[in-house]
Amino acid sequence: MSTCLIALDQVKKVFYTDEVETHALMNISLKINKGEYVSISGPSGCGKSTLLSLLGLLDTSSGGEYQLAGNDVSDIDKKERARIRNKEIGFIFQSFNLISDLDVEENVELPLTYRKDLSKSQRQQMVKDALAKVDMSHRGKHFPAQLSGGQQQRVAVARAIAGNPSIILADEPTGNLDSKNAEAVMQLLDKLHAQGATICMVTHDPRSAKQAKRTVELLDGQIIADRNTEKDTDNGTAAA
Amino acid sequence: MIMQDFKYALRLLGKKPGFTVLTTLVMATGIGLSLFLFSFFNTVLFKDLPFKNSDSLVVIGTSENKERNSGELNIFDYKEVKAGLKGMSNLLAYHTSNVNVVGRDGSRRYGATYTQPGMFEITHTSPLLGRGFTEAEKKRGGEAVVVISFDIWQNQFAGDKQVLGQTLRVNGRNHRIIGVMPGEYYFPNVSDLWMPLHLDRGQLTRQEAGTVFGLGHLDPGVSKQEINAQLDMIMARIEDKYPKSNQNISAYADTIPMTAVGDGIAVVYAMQVVAILILILAAINVGNLLLSRAVERSKETAIRVALGAPRSRLISQMLWESIIICTLGGIIGLLMVAWGLEVTQAITATFFVEKPSFWWKFGLDAFAIKLFFAFVIATVLMTGLLPAWKNSGENFNAALRDGTRGAQGKKAGRLNKTLVISEILISITVLIGAAVMVLSSYLRTTVDIGANPDNILTATIKLPKADYPTPESQSQLIKTLQSNLENNSGIEDVMMLSSLPGKYSQSPFMALEGKVYPLDRGYPKANYIAVTPGTLANLGVELRHGRYFTSGDQGLDKSTVLVSESFARQHFAGESALGKRLRLVEPGDYAPKWLTIVGVVEHTRQGDTQRGELPSVFRPFSQAPRPQMTIAMHMKTDSVTTMALLRDTLKAIDAELPAFRVETYHQSLARNYAPVRFISKVLLLFGIAAVILAGSGIYGVMSNTINQKTQEIGVKRALGADDERIKKELLLSGFKQFLAGSIPGLIGGCALGFAMAQVMGVGGSAIILIALSTAFIIGAVVMAATYFPTRKALEMEPSQALHYE
Repeated sequence: MSTCLIALDQVKKVFYTDEVETHALMNISLKINKGEYVSISGPSGCGKSTLLSLLGLLDTSSGGEYQLAGNDVSDIDKKERARIRNKEIGFIFQSFNLISDLDVEENVELPLTYRKDLSKSQRQQMVKDALAKVDMSHRGKHFPAQLSGGQQQRVAVARAIAGNPSIILADEPTGNLDSKNAEAVMQLLDKLHAQGATICMVTHDPRSAKQAKRTVELLDGQIIADRNTEKDTDNGTAAA
Repeated sequence: MIMQDFKYALRLLGKKPGFTVLTTLVMATGIGLSLFLFSFFNTVLFKDLPFKNSDSLVVIGTSENKERNSGELNIFDYKEVKAGLKGMSNLLAYHTSNVNVVGRDGSRRYGATYTQPGMFEITHTSPLLGRGFTEAEKKRGGEAVVVISFDIWQNQFAGDKQVLGQTLRVNGRNHRIIGVMPGEYYFPNVSDLWMPLHLDRGQLTRQEAGTVFGLGHLDPGVSKQEINAQLDMIMARIEDKYPKSNQNISAYADTIPMTAVGDGIAVVYAMQVVAILILILAAINVGNLLLSRAVERSKETAIRVALGAPRSRLISQMLWESIIICTLGGIIGLLMVAWGLEVTQAITATFFVEKPSFWWKFGLDAFAIKLFFAFVIATVLMTGLLPAWKNSGENFNAALRDGTRGAQGKKAGRLNKTLVISEILISITVLIGAAVMVLSSYLRTTVDIGANPDNILTATIKLPKADYPTPESQSQLIKTLQSNLENNSGIEDVMMLSSLPGKYSQSPFMALEGKVYPLDRGYPKANYIAVTPGTLANLGVELRHGRYFTSGDQGLDKSTVLVSESFARQHFAGESALGKRLRLVEPGDYAPKWLTIVGVVEHTRQGDTQRGELPSVFRPFSQAPRPQMTIAMHMKTDSVTTMALLRDTLKAIDAELPAFRVETYHQSLARNYAPVRFISKVLLLFGIAAVILAGSGIYGVMSNTINQKTQEIGVKRALGADDERIKKELLLSGFKQFLAGSIPGLIGGCALGFAMAQVMGVGGSAIILIALSTAFIIGAVVMAATYFPTRKALEMEPSQALHYE
């Protein structure tokens, strides 16, 4: 039986600008099991990235309950959120978000330096392993500006997986790449999934979405479809 | 095209009035303060005097222990200098003094110059009426003649065209007026009268001979350095001949304004460095603000490039903003300077009892206007080129795309760090310089002079030799004056002495009985002050041992002295000074008069800084009368009434004897310190400006840096860095920048401080303390400038920070 990693129950997110309330997410209920490869898709402004931010504890919800690995994380303090992000979540961003002042190895090592339970040699080994997985070991001493977009994204993937997180959250990971590099990154995610990683990816690219085994579709802040693309059938967890 | 860019720059500045006003005011402050200081010192020290060829006109004065103290040369030394010096033409001698003049409004005191013929020719100024001196008039025994100033002509003779040939009574002797000088002519400084100088003093000894300055033009192609090298050699030769009287005495040539400043020139140069640093600080601030705007507009610039705009056009467009801000700021600064110089004219007039030096005419002159243009151009380049270069050289393709800013962040980060480090360096240097000056002023004005100046009116009298030729007659006059004043019901105590505590005194060489003085060390010096009995006690100069002077010490045949405790400590460490004997060292004096110490009093400071540390020897006036004495009176009524009482009493004794420098003791001391206080106030203004400019500048750059790092902060938080970690990281980065700026800043500031300290009398430990306090203040500014923007950035959710533009 699959273990539930993420469980959202009636989660909502409201943005307030001046006197205008924008309901970015409305009563979202969603479960993601360990080892799943889920894509979240939908048109621009539908709330995909907001949902990913809530899943990644980059933002707080305006209501509802969020359980991560069986623990309620809806109301935890900033410090605990930072700790969970560091240990349980790996992020891949559309714009790579590598630190320009750090070389490839330092970028990959960065999240590991925030952990107190790792020695320097352990961290170096983990960096080595992660770079090997994305085939970037030979570029360890290069700086981001010296890499192509595809290479930068592979480094970003290595950074995301270096700490063996419970889930990888990817926000439009191919959005800034040409088709060839995009294909390579998607294959890399496939490979990671095949090795047991849980992946949740926001994309509006139908080809990328197709590579996930399950697709959640959003429209105007609500889930309008949740399909298992392997079987191509609804799994019945649509929004209430 | 240019008009289009100009209008566009105006529109951009108009869109952000707060930014425009702020940057303009920062530039006005920087340009205004710097321009003021340069203009002030140019007028006081560097500007050519208003005569033809005045740039080659130099004065020869003395230095002692290599310190340029602008004293007059012994006439014998002058003659040797004149005989040996090559490279100066028309060298003549002059001597300045104050004289009593009896005019139609009573007896008055005027500045006078005794000169050899040729002074008017050297300054290319002919008398308005009459003539200068002839060779016959310079000879001893020649007719007593005088040339008067325009002011005396107007005030004493109502501009009478027949003034030539009339008589003017100067120092008790009639002089025939032979000329009137044009208005505003007070050469060499504040003279209203010019009389012939007699150098042919027969068989006078070196000690009896008077003293003079040398004056002449450098020959074409001859530098001051060459003349000074010759003077050093000639004076060294004289020192060899007269080792005791001329020990460590040398001579130097400099322009008249520069001789007044002597070794204080180090402070002047230090202040000019401070002025330039303030200008750079202001330019860095404005440059940084413009840079931030350029970064904000990088997308707009990218669009322009994409549409085909050449780089030169982009640079020119961005330069226009700097041109407008710096020019506008410069004009406001210039107006401030014009006003400041006008105020300075009024303030500096209070530095002197009579009138300031004739070349002290403050105002916007050609120098100030030229410097204004130079400053505006320099600041336009400093503030405009950096953002223009930075923005026009961006990777526009990247700027047009979203999300790839991270790859460009390194250069911007380096630039920001450089700006912060520069601001830290400059502000610490400026603050140390300003603090040393302010501390010096504070120390001078609050130092214990050894007397209580409360409720005392002071005045000076000078007894003309013609009326009071002997010590007996001088002594009698003083005795009568003191007695008459004491009998006055409006006056409580009357004190008479040659030099009040806090004022400079003559300081001859002394020799102590039983001590041998080798040639290489020479005799010690001490202030030598004549006092009447009761004076020291009434002034509050406390007795430490022995006794004060009594009536038993009166008379030319007596030989008693009091010494200050500093004198006793210096020369009789561990034993009592009472009963010991000393004498004045006078060359050629083969029958010295030994003076017995009968008492020790507290130390009085005669002059400021190092001079104030010199010990003193007090002698009863009746034993050694002086022609010039200061009268100090404890007032029972107000100062105006006491002043009138003094004048009436004096008039009753000698109608031709004027009292001058009549003022309260406090006013007199304040006037002493007024120049230092004024300069320290100016530097305090610089210090405040430096703190504000550096504080706002460092905060601006740091918050800009952190603002640019918002996305990076978001990434780090997404990767699990908690808020404390981010704060620590950024504060550490701020601290490193602080160290990088503060270490050279402290070195530069201390160098500046020590250069000033030699003249300003501030100790090394005080400078170190100032330096550390300054570093602490700037460190706190840097930390605050890092902490608050960081806290603001951390208030955002990481998701917001990740998408922050």
